[in-house]
Amino acid sequence: MRSFSEYDPKVVALYFFSVTGLAMFCSYPAITAMTLGGGVLYYIVRNRRKRIKSHLFFFLLFLALALINPLISHNGATVLFVMNDNPVTLEALLYGINSAAMVVGVLYWFRSFTEIMTSEKLLYLTGTLSPKLSLVLSMALRFVPLFRRQSAKVSDAQKAMGLFKEDNVIDDVRSNMRIFSVLITWALENGIITADSMAARGFGTGRRTQFTNYRMRRWDYLFLAADIVLMTLCIWAAASGAYTFEFYPMIRYRGSAEHKIIGEAAYGILVLLPVIVELEVNIRWKYLKSKI
Amino acid sequence: MTVIKSPGLRRTIKVAVPFVLVPMLAIAGSMAFDRKRHIIISLAIAVLALLLFTAGFEKRSTGTRRMVITAVMTALCFAGRFIPFLKPISALTIITGMYLGGEAGFLVGALTAVLSNFYFGQGPWTAFQMLAWGMIGLFGGVLSPLLRKNRMFLLGYGLIAGLMYSFTMDIWTVLWYAEGFSIKLYLSALVTAIPYTASYAVSNVLFLALLAKPFGEKLERIKIKYGV
Repeated sequence: MRSFSEYDPKVVALYFFSVTGLAMFCSYPAITAMTLGGGVLYYIVRNRRKRIKSHLFFFLLFLALALINPLISHNGATVLFVMNDNPVTLEALLYGINSAAMVVGVLYWFRSFTEIMTSEKLLYLTGTLSPKLSLVLSMALRFVPLFRRQSAKVSDAQKAMGLFKEDNVIDDVRSNMRIFSVLITWALENGIITADSMAARGFGTGRRTQFTNYRMRRWDYLFLAADIVLMTLCIWAAASGAYTFEFYPMIRYRGSAEHKIIGEAAYGILVLLPVIVELEVNIRWKYLKSKI
Repeated sequence: MTVIKSPGLRRTIKVAVPFVLVPMLAIAGSMAFDRKRHIIISLAIAVLALLLFTAGFEKRSTGTRRMVITAVMTALCFAGRFIPFLKPISALTIITGMYLGGEAGFLVGALTAVLSNFYFGQGPWTAFQMLAWGMIGLFGGVLSPLLRKNRMFLLGYGLIAGLMYSFTMDIWTVLWYAEGFSIKLYLSALVTAIPYTASYAVSNVLFLALLAKPFGEKLERIKIKYGV
């Protein structure tokens, strides 16, 4: 019983790339709508009533993106009204809404992705490709708070020695530049010492291990299998031309109906997979609690 | 700096990516999809290019010290991205490229993009940012003798790097929004991005003017003292 964020990073990464990749690839209204709907739903399921501000931001972005296209593009047969001698068409407006839904939907998915894929999981993923790269990343992450603490120390020392003036802007900048310069020298020397210490302790002689051991469990395999099957169905539907849709000059759908239904259903389930996982976990948790 | 250890895998990537995968993608992209789906293809090619660059790094005589210095520079870039309005990333990447070589510059630029996006939001654009900043660092290394000699040239490179960064990222914005390239949308994207473009260019020139010399001295000193 794990929520989706605790699944194996490989499975999580593949899932997010398959959903957003399909969304960006098929600019087809039903798919776009499902991307946006699923992205918003999963974000709400994860964060409940928090993050009202980001919802507001995404809504405003959606409006702006949807309205840009009819103002710039004047293709399309159905003229709604004429502005500054330029026709504003229904087709261009719908095209704008479609693009905006795609962009905002993908943004929602990636917002959840950023929350789930912590830097530690990235290290796990890069570690399998290149341990060296993974090490540089993890050291860089570790250096950031270290530098912050060290710069506070340097600043205190400079103040104690009477070298720090903040009477006016120029003095302020010069003092801060001095602190920065001290910090750089220290950081580089400290890095070399760290490297020597690592080499002395036998870095690079054996296989690198991870802090967290992720293991593929039954649900990971199930999720992975579902992801791959649904993605294949969507790609098959796209390849057989089910998602052929034209906005210009007039809205027209040219594709086979059976393929279309299969493709849309597959994508719909794909988008809902993590929500299903979360719901299952919640229900089981409540059930177990009620038995106590 | 060897990033991918197995030489067989490196060789395969170096041959397969430019001669098989990229042409195949480009041909498949133009043949199979009658409507323009540049976005996925450009994304795939950006990722492949990153892979190609990492496969190209195979100077053996490096070691832990050089790697840790790269990590230090990445951390500094990362911390610098939190400064409001002024972004020292490109400048620091160029400095790294100049004094530690193009490969280190490429790595610092590309890794900073991944790491800092944990705070600024990951997205499909991460691959493009990695490529753009990586290239800025790589060319900083390639042009190193010129950049070190001539200060005006250095500042000019910083200015151009800032402009080019913004222009390439706008190509990506347009491709993402409109699934085909439209020059009108591109121009309007450029116009709305003017404050950002200006900030990139100004901060590059400013930070290069302020930091290039002292930073170079410090890096040179470390190189002489410890023989990196």
